[in-house]
Amino acid sequence: MKRFPAWLIAFNALMYAFLLLPIAIVIPMSLNAGEYLAFPPQGFSIRWYVSFLNSEQFTSALLRSLWLAVAVAMLASAIASPAAIFYVRCLRAGREKFRLTMLAPMLLPEVLTSIALLFFFNQLFFGKSTIVPLMIGHVIITIPFVFLTVTSALYNMPPGVEEAARTMGAGPWAVFRRVTFPLIKSGIVTGAMLAFIMSFDNVNISLLLKPLGSSTLPIQLFDYLRYDFDPTAAAVSTISLTITLIVVLLIDRFYGLRAVRF
Amino acid sequence: MARLRIERLSKAFGGVVAVQAVDLDVAEGEFVSLLGPSGCGKTTTLRCVAGLEEPTVGRILFGERDVTRLPPEQRLIGMVFQSYALFPHMTVGDNIDFALQMRGVRGDEAGRRIAGVLDTVQLKGMEARYPRELSGGQQQRVALARALVAEPELLLLDEPLANLDAKLREEMRFFIRSLQRRLQITTLYVTHDQSEAMIMSDRIVVMFGGRIHQTGRPEDIYHRPATAEVANFIGQANMLKGTVVEWREGVATVAAAWGRFRCGTSRPVPEGSLVTAMVRPEALRLANGADRSEMTGRIVARHFLGNVLDYRVGLADGTVVCVQAMAGSFPPEGATVSLKIDQDKVWLLR
Amino acid sequence: MRRWLLALPAMLMVGLFVVVPYLNIVVMSFRAPSPSAIYGPGFTLDNYARILSDPLYLGLLKDTLLYALGTTSLCFAIGFPVAYHLARTESRWRGLLYAGVLSPLLTGVVIRCFGWIVLLANNGVINQLLGLAGLGPYRLMYNPVGVTIALVHVFLPFMILPIMNAIQSVDPRLSEAARTMGASSARTFVRVVLPLSLPGVQSGVILVFVLSASAYIIPMLLGGGQVSTTPTVVVQQLMGSLLWPFGATLALVLSFTALIVVALFGAATRRAMRGVA
Repeated sequence: MKRFPAWLIAFNALMYAFLLLPIAIVIPMSLNAGEYLAFPPQGFSIRWYVSFLNSEQFTSALLRSLWLAVAVAMLASAIASPAAIFYVRCLRAGREKFRLTMLAPMLLPEVLTSIALLFFFNQLFFGKSTIVPLMIGHVIITIPFVFLTVTSALYNMPPGVEEAARTMGAGPWAVFRRVTFPLIKSGIVTGAMLAFIMSFDNVNISLLLKPLGSSTLPIQLFDYLRYDFDPTAAAVSTISLTITLIVVLLIDRFYGLRAVRF
Repeated sequence: MARLRIERLSKAFGGVVAVQAVDLDVAEGEFVSLLGPSGCGKTTTLRCVAGLEEPTVGRILFGERDVTRLPPEQRLIGMVFQSYALFPHMTVGDNIDFALQMRGVRGDEAGRRIAGVLDTVQLKGMEARYPRELSGGQQQRVALARALVAEPELLLLDEPLANLDAKLREEMRFFIRSLQRRLQITTLYVTHDQSEAMIMSDRIVVMFGGRIHQTGRPEDIYHRPATAEVANFIGQANMLKGTVVEWREGVATVAAAWGRFRCGTSRPVPEGSLVTAMVRPEALRLANGADRSEMTGRIVARHFLGNVLDYRVGLADGTVVCVQAMAGSFPPEGATVSLKIDQDKVWLLR
Repeated sequence: MRRWLLALPAMLMVGLFVVVPYLNIVVMSFRAPSPSAIYGPGFTLDNYARILSDPLYLGLLKDTLLYALGTTSLCFAIGFPVAYHLARTESRWRGLLYAGVLSPLLTGVVIRCFGWIVLLANNGVINQLLGLAGLGPYRLMYNPVGVTIALVHVFLPFMILPIMNAIQSVDPRLSEAARTMGASSARTFVRVVLPLSLPGVQSGVILVFVLSASAYIIPMLLGGGQVSTTPTVVVQQLMGSLLWPFGATLALVLSFTALIVVALFGAATRRAMRGVA
């Protein structure tokens, strides 16, 4: 049994508290009966959730974030999964370059990417009148995540199963359908869920690319926090947290959190 | 069942030549092993026969059919991989059924054949299990069943026993061989284990560095190796160097520094040429007083191996030979001894 | 050869929506500004000249880099012990701890900033607790302190995870061998584990540095209007006024400067990583 010095344990405990405190504090705040951000909470109330539901801006932003995240997850998976298969199974030369290209959107600062896309869409396309630029921006930054999880799933496949299937009479398409796909399915789903979370929570891209007049939940919250300061924001935050937590738990069921590697 | 013919097969990966000019005919129902150290090209050759690699030069024929350009799924082969490659997401039954589905066999017929082949490999009733629930030996037999169920023309095995422990390996050797004999299926077997090849094969193909050094029956390879590499790879070999004094009808007389000996050879050799001959440790004996012998030396080391006594004897010119005997006297180190050669068992190397 | 079709959609996406737009930023930085449109006619080096000569912008760059440096240093000091423990512990809570480190990444940055606002505000949780003890209130927000705390919090997992991975991949048998040769735990750590985990440290440091240098949301929310960093100014330029060429130039200059710092850091640590990476 490995023993760690007491000071290390104590220090780490503090650090875990540091990591989780701001996230944790939001939840009791949202159930606070009091008007301001007082602590300890002055009683239990769901008025801030009611306030959230009454806010057309917030509820429409939540719905928009949800369906956008679903669309982005599906698109990113559809685009990145074949690329991952190509990378692991077919590519011989220039592997590092290909991998870097696929991971580039994750490695480049998001602010720069969103600026680049802002210019691009305004100059070369129709501008920001639709949600398409925003969707494209989200897909771009989530592709690397799906690429990583699917390549990981491919590397973890038992060796030789695809070749064995071919010696048993399966053509390339049958091999993919009956052997490869079932075995990487969890990788694809995990990647899609990560893409969902990244899109749902995204601020940098959404800020610059969102179409006029509509908003995503994080942006709506961001705007709200610049001017107003009541626990409605806590209710919104808690709802957002709950959604991502559900998705994380689903990832853990499918694949385990160890799959999330950077 | 078809014969297998490999013609002038060469395979290069980029600049590296893995297989060079391999020719092989396998008769129907024959069990042939490709034997050699790792990197000798045996697995690459097998994979070319399977269609998993495309030959750079040469042809592969199953009977009359030229399959060189055919993809694996159209070759009607059964292959067992070193890692078994069982589909983890399918049951044992589904794994085997897969082969039948790909060849269009369905329904009751398929069910019967699956049960039948499982019975053959002594895994009766295991259809519903998953690969991860099985032991290594059991997984191996599922892989075998999977390869055989569609009654292929050719059975290919790539070091299938490498991941099993020694006892299980021994059992499986006999199992695979007797199964193959019963089914009379033409088989190509890759291994680096020389005793495995000797036990199981009708013929052995010994390869080094991408080339075939010798093809033949186990006894031929053992007693009459073609090259020094083959001699050293199979069992132990003592190398005796000398100059040819005389050659007559398949027997050469060679003069070495310590004396003369006779050896067998398949080709004529010119007098005066420098040659190396090999003799197995069990073909050398410690002479008792009555025998006349030219070979004398000192015992450099001796080992008691249980059923065998092993001596290293240093000869006059410095050569150290290995002598093995089942029983007999056990002279101490440093003792001077005479050795008797079983002259029939000395063979001239290329 | 139809195989490459598999990668085609991805390559198209990245080519069209990453490569081209980035090149476009560079081009944009050379364009002339215009009051009425996003840019005017012609090309100029004015934007660069303005930034590199104006102490205001140079100071802005300096501040941004200082935030990044401070954040990175703190993240390293805090993150390394956590990463080490997480990499080596055999406790059954390991999965939970790992989730704990990961969880901040999976919650939005705005929510995390909100949490800090609740904690750090003048009438926030911390000040109220300190008030009970008769201390304070301390100004923990709308100043560099609050911004730094939030930056460290948000980017800490990016330091912990690479280091943890690197330490984990150091063969524990090397430590065992060192112990049999007479080295104490501490010396084994310093002489064996630490040098071998340097590639992970390097990754973590570079990652956090680049991320904190380009942070926008956190300085905005935790700084009120009182903390300006280059990214906040850039976004203001782009969204508020139509000064796109200048904004582009500012963003590029910051990125380039950050890149130089990273390259210098990489060169400096390369010597220390001989034989490791």
